[in-house]
Amino acid sequence: MAGDGARAARRDGAESAARAARPYYVPIGNEEQVFKAAFRRGKSVLLKGPTGCGKTRFVEAMAHDLERPLVTVACHDDLTTADLVGRFLLRGGETEWVDGPLTRAVREGAICYLDEIVEARQDTTVVLHPLADHRRQLPIERLGVTVDAAPEFCLVVSYNPGYQSVLKDLKDSTRQRMIAIEFGFPPAEVEEKIVAHEAGIDSQRAAELVRLAQAIRRLETAGLREVASTRVLIAAGQLVAEGLSPREAARAAIAGPLSDDASVTRGLAQMIDVYLADPAG
Amino acid sequence: MPRGVTTATATTLERWGLLASAISGRALQVSPGEPGEPAWTDGRAVFVGSDLSAREQVDALSVQASLLAAGSLHPDVVRRLSRRPALARRYLALEGHRALASVEHVLPRSLRSLIDSAVAARADSPAASLACARSRERIADPPESFGVIRARRLLATIDRSDRSPSGARQARREPGDPVLSELAEDEHDNGAAADLFASPVGGAGALGRWLHRMLEAVRKIAGEGPPGADAPTHRTRAATRSGGNAWLWTRMTGTAQAPGGEGRGTKYPEWDVHRRRYRPDWCTVHELAPRAADGTPLMASDLLMASDRYGLRRPLARLGLGLERCHRRAQGDDIDIDAAIEARVEVMAGSAPDEAVYVESLRRRRDLSVLLLLDTSGSAAEPAVTGSTVHEQQRAAAAALTAALHAIGDRVALYAYCSRGRSAVQLVPVKRFDDVLDTLVMRRLCALVPGAYSRLGAAIRHGAAVLEQRGGTPRRLLVVLSDGLAYDHGYEPAYGAADARRALAEARGRGTGCLCLSIGASTDPATLRRVFGSAAHATLPRAEQLGRVIGPLFRSALRAAEVRPRVSARGGR
Repeated sequence: MAGDGARAARRDGAESAARAARPYYVPIGNEEQVFKAAFRRGKSVLLKGPTGCGKTRFVEAMAHDLERPLVTVACHDDLTTADLVGRFLLRGGETEWVDGPLTRAVREGAICYLDEIVEARQDTTVVLHPLADHRRQLPIERLGVTVDAAPEFCLVVSYNPGYQSVLKDLKDSTRQRMIAIEFGFPPAEVEEKIVAHEAGIDSQRAAELVRLAQAIRRLETAGLREVASTRVLIAAGQLVAEGLSPREAARAAIAGPLSDDASVTRGLAQMIDVYLADPAG
Repeated sequence: MPRGVTTATATTLERWGLLASAISGRALQVSPGEPGEPAWTDGRAVFVGSDLSAREQVDALSVQASLLAAGSLHPDVVRRLSRRPALARRYLALEGHRALASVEHVLPRSLRSLIDSAVAARADSPAASLACARSRERIADPPESFGVIRARRLLATIDRSDRSPSGARQARREPGDPVLSELAEDEHDNGAAADLFASPVGGAGALGRWLHRMLEAVRKIAGEGPPGADAPTHRTRAATRSGGNAWLWTRMTGTAQAPGGEGRGTKYPEWDVHRRRYRPDWCTVHELAPRAADGTPLMASDLLMASDRYGLRRPLARLGLGLERCHRRAQGDDIDIDAAIEARVEVMAGSAPDEAVYVESLRRRRDLSVLLLLDTSGSAAEPAVTGSTVHEQQRAAAAALTAALHAIGDRVALYAYCSRGRSAVQLVPVKRFDDVLDTLVMRRLCALVPGAYSRLGAAIRHGAAVLEQRGGTPRRLLVVLSDGLAYDHGYEPAYGAADARRALAEARGRGTGCLCLSIGASTDPATLRRVFGSAAHATLPRAEQLGRVIGPLFRSALRAAEVRPRVSARGGR
């Protein structure tokens, strides 16, 4: 499967040399087919998975394949409906309506990607309801109009079910309007390839980093809020490509970001020393 | 710690704990063993000779951790190795390679040289390795780095953890049910609790507990809990967890009758830690009419003025959390029409307009209700660390907190509690949620005289129930001001501590934050931890220091409660 994906990626790249290169994404299962089917049927998509496992990259690759512009909104605590839909501003003596990113995507038929949707306030996510179901409409209360979504419009939201907070749960009414695709960390051999490709390091170095990450992912000790994601591996790999030793790179890119607890960081440093060879040895 | 091992090596070894945990896939420590002794594990820690080189230590702990990860040290297997060192050695020689091979994908590359794949291929399970070891086949001795299997020590640990449901199996973080695992923290240290009040042969002494265990009716209900108990509303996901007869009581017995109704009182269950189940309708809580002191108006107004003596208002005010639409902001979702028109008029009149013409929604609205529970049992009359009595210190803190929270606009209630046996748990509503904060409240507070005992669990359950019904806000916080001594008739300290802890966990499970403050009391921190469990708690020598800690304490208590309902709700799906 992974090999197919890599081949597919190469073929796509060859065919569309005129376009920008396809963002590197290696499919793990049938997620690409599911996404494209949902897109063709005008369904909204919900991506679930831990941080740094490739959700955003997946959407970028899909937008590239489907030849749609991608509008990304990083959701945060204070994201309001107006931030998504648009607002009136005052220009001189006149009021002027300014479309928000969601409205723009709806009008243009873009893929609108709301990253970490649970971070947004719940009164904000309700605006997505008529858009996410069969109606595919965006009512703009302040203008008194309802905008029908362009046929190519696709709503994609992502969230990380690991962050537990009662205030930050996705409403059932919202999630039931979505097609869900679950993401996990890729299998070791795929992850090796990804790290090697993204960071530009040889596959043996990448394999060592992945092995370290696999071990860290087994750690259930308190103190580790998150485990080593593919993203931090790539960061470590990039530091290695810049000439740092694997140990230095892993300490800076993996151990440091994962924990603030001094004893956990020390333990991680010990693990790094065991898993990653010295440049000399 | 064995002789000759310096603290430095012990710390260095402890750092390997993360590696050992990663390989074994469970919480595993690394401790220094006797110098010259081969490595071994008891299932919770790997003991590695401190005289070995770092490389040898890593090899040794990796083998032991792999054995644990591969299930090679399952009790069924280990039992057969007990008292048969030669067999254990042959088993280790085979199983060590198989275990290492099974976790090969997470082993550091340097360790993969330990694996002899030919040996590893000889068996595909611990049982097969054992069978092979018992046969007459020739098996080479295990390398020195494999250490040894100490069957009896392993079994001893397994037995211990079998007796306590919070043992090794729970050391693994199970995302399914943190609430239950927290409730199960009961087991940790009851035995260690020094019991000053109970007789050694009675129900609570060590001998008594042993007798109790020996003579206990052995009938166990296999299915859904004790007869007559509430049918559980959901199943837990962690089916393998032990402690299956521990039940989370989700229904409030007294809810048919509103708490606070005087007369017959409200009944609450109580957690019986020895039998590991609830005693339904065990305690009766009465709310007594508060009495106001009349001769002390000066002191009462003095307390009322105390509202900001300890600098509580500022840290507490930062906890405001609800959304509020604010007008005349420089940015926002909508145009504030009034402000825009004014600005326009000003422009036309030739003066500089105010640019703040938007409406913004901000988290500023207060949506917190707080119920303070003040301990007025006899132990509060004891002199505090700093001179005056514990009661006076706690009362001053309660007054300051009530006044400060009231001044910021939070809903606040203050109840005092004491008890005389399980049928007479008394709560005095000094200030109910809807009472105005005035000198009458302060005179009531002044009229409180410490006496009797404290059945903390029932008081907490009642306080939480009142808070849930009368609080009226999405965020709720229960603050217990107590010296941490839970004692009453048939409520000896170990039992009381477990019940109080359970009551706090129940409240948290329903989304009520819990915070325990002990002011001026000389109770030792270990006792407080037993009573308050993982609820946010703090010990202060004097009430004046409240201002410094109250902000972080409130925040952590509220956050803990926010996280929990989602978790328990998930378990139920």
